Amino acid sequence: MSTAPEQNALSSAVVEVARLLRGSAGRPARLVCLFGSMDATTNRPRVHYILDVPGIGYRLLQETESSNGTALVQSITSAFPAAVWYERELRDQYGVELSDHPDPRPLVLHENWPRDCHPMSAPSQSVPWVKGEYPFLKVEGDGVCEVAVGPVHAGVIEPGHFRFSVVGDNVLHLELRHFYTHKGTEKLFQGTPVTSGQMIAESVSGDNCFAHAVAYCQAVEKAQDVPVPRRAEFIRLIGLELERMMAHVADVGALSGDVAFVVPAAYCSRIKEDLLQAGSRAMGTRYWRGIAVPGGVTRDLSTSASEALCQAVEQAAADFKKMASIILDRPSVQSRFEAAGILKRSVATDLAVVGPVARSSGVDIDVRHDHPYGAYKESTIQIPSFHYGDVLARARTRIDEVAVSAKLIIDSLKSLPGGAVRETLPQGIPFEGFSAVESPRGELLYWVKGENDLLSRCYIKSPSFQNWPALPHAVAGNVIADFPLINKSFNLSYSGCDR
Amino acid sequence: MILDVIECSLKAPNRIIPVEALAGNVAGSRMPQVQPSLLTRENADRACRTCPTGALALVERQGQKLLCMDYGQCIGCGRCMEVEPRAFIPADRLGCCGVSKGELARYFDFERGVEVNPNSPEIVQQQIFSMLGKALNIRQLDAGSCNGCEAEITALTNPYYDLERFGIHFVASPKHADMLLVTGPVTRNMAVAVKKTYEAVPAPKLVVAVGACGCSGGIFAASHAVVGPVDSVIPVDGYIPGCPPTPSMLLTGILEVLRRTSTKP
Repeated sequence: MSTAPEQNALSSAVVEVARLLRGSAGRPARLVCLFGSMDATTNRPRVHYILDVPGIGYRLLQETESSNGTALVQSITSAFPAAVWYERELRDQYGVELSDHPDPRPLVLHENWPRDCHPMSAPSQSVPWVKGEYPFLKVEGDGVCEVAVGPVHAGVIEPGHFRFSVVGDNVLHLELRHFYTHKGTEKLFQGTPVTSGQMIAESVSGDNCFAHAVAYCQAVEKAQDVPVPRRAEFIRLIGLELERMMAHVADVGALSGDVAFVVPAAYCSRIKEDLLQAGSRAMGTRYWRGIAVPGGVTRDLSTSASEALCQAVEQAAADFKKMASIILDRPSVQSRFEAAGILKRSVATDLAVVGPVARSSGVDIDVRHDHPYGAYKESTIQIPSFHYGDVLARARTRIDEVAVSAKLIIDSLKSLPGGAVRETLPQGIPFEGFSAVESPRGELLYWVKGENDLLSRCYIKSPSFQNWPALPHAVAGNVIADFPLINKSFNLSYSGCDR
Repeated sequence: MILDVIECSLKAPNRIIPVEALAGNVAGSRMPQVQPSLLTRENADRACRTCPTGALALVERQGQKLLCMDYGQCIGCGRCMEVEPRAFIPADRLGCCGVSKGELARYFDFERGVEVNPNSPEIVQQQIFSMLGKALNIRQLDAGSCNGCEAEITALTNPYYDLERFGIHFVASPKHADMLLVTGPVTRNMAVAVKKTYEAVPAPKLVVAVGACGCSGGIFAASHAVVGPVDSVIPVDGYIPGCPPTPSMLLTGILEVLRRTSTKP
């Protein structure tokens, strides 16, 4: 039969993935992401695995699924739990059936979507509305109550649903139900001109819009082999680090506010606004939207703008340092931060957690250091890390990273290379490639494919999608009143996750 | 000791931006302003072709070809200003916040180089002043936004904008709210929750659609997973364009919706 060799080809990719993740050939690899795309010739889903292999770097493995009518792929979730949401997403979006997957429930597509609708595997069409109920995991026993929160939350927060099973104040189990802000973003990329894709990327997670735009541009540049001018790479580094500073300053302030210590919260919101205004004066946009484009940046930094930005960053870093010590020195803050929401190192590794959350649980990973890109190839950076895995560790990681980012910005501004800031793209060539950046939330990867200057597929590995499944592990065992604090210390994006 | 905190508070300079400087200010939003006298058929056409969301379009009205600039669809990508830097310049002040949907679109006659029916709302500063000091409770509702609008709404409470000085508060429950500030395109997965939240707000209630997505669906307008802009699901009283709108645009828009409501006959 003709199907046999294809099935073997498929299973060999999964076998190789499992072998690398198990680490039988050295230290275990880390699962970066797992996603689908449609094979243009066979019109069947193809499955892609990206791994971070120690000593080798990023490695992409891919297979077309079998042709015997039933799209069946061996699930790796039971052995490697980091794959759980990726595989559920693959099933929702492409209709790929996963053998031995422990969780048969849909993930991205809620009850209003027909179960046989797999938007990424077919052209856009109107989708009928259906009704159904999501089977939450039931925790049973004496005194167990359920507390349902969301999707609409009390505050200026994105939507998502949290289902707590509690005994008294103690959380036994937390189940997440997300994807309320699912906007079909990846499908929107299909058919979009490659020079316009960054506009969609900027609207994946608005507070990290520059990191998304740069990650997209880098992927295109890598796929099309476009040399980016050095000056543009440094301007991108400045933008990326500025975004990280703003995110961490805001997070630390909000953490302080969450334990009712409001003076630093107000102060940090002011420091963030100072940085936004300084960035806006330099580039004409508060969040640096419209700056990164494939081939470089749209706007240059003038000498006077660099000097002003440099001063603003120095001032903000000094102000924040003072505020951070005021926060950390306070016994009332310590007693709330310490030992709250511990994410064990083993859980962080099993779920392949990334970013500041990983670095606060003793997992030292950072794309800037492990897979240097752009101007980071020329910089040596200290990556702060802590191993306690609690709210305090996550606050301290962020506090230390602000200082590192400030130094990177100041150094880059003072030694900004000259030259052009934008390279033209080649036209009409088929392309495929991926690239990652360290966004404020962690590893952010874009994989792009296309031809004739149009994208046929763009996959976004968002750090939030990776980290959300770890949150319940940090929350279990804590009192429910500490949930907002623990959640804030992870600071994950809902829209970035839901896409 | 708590003295360091007190010292910090006392030494912090007053950062508050006066309302005169905020009202109508759209600087930093990357919104374009059309220079009607410099428009030609050619540059209008080039700008339309480069616009990714269709905010700029050539339309026909009573047999006349016009350029339509719909701020509700504009995501401020800056392309029109890049290809036609004379006819399209970055806007500093615009009366486009808190207006009706019809007023978001402006029409230009490129043959004669003029704006057609420039009934564009003026920024009525005196009337905005008269709104100050009245309490308003706002419930922010994310209908599927990318969180860019949320980041700017959060900035409204920082010491520069200090929304509380106007008597405006964000409240935790729709049941305590006078106004819903709705961001994002309404996604399929949020549509039911958006309707339920609207129903939970006691009447009389105001709804303001925020951002390019809230006004028109923005960059997500064509998505299979999006139902549409906010007004495709619940009634809307005023629109604040921008991607994302800056804090001064949000503030202007909120006050303008209030002004229009209170001066209605």
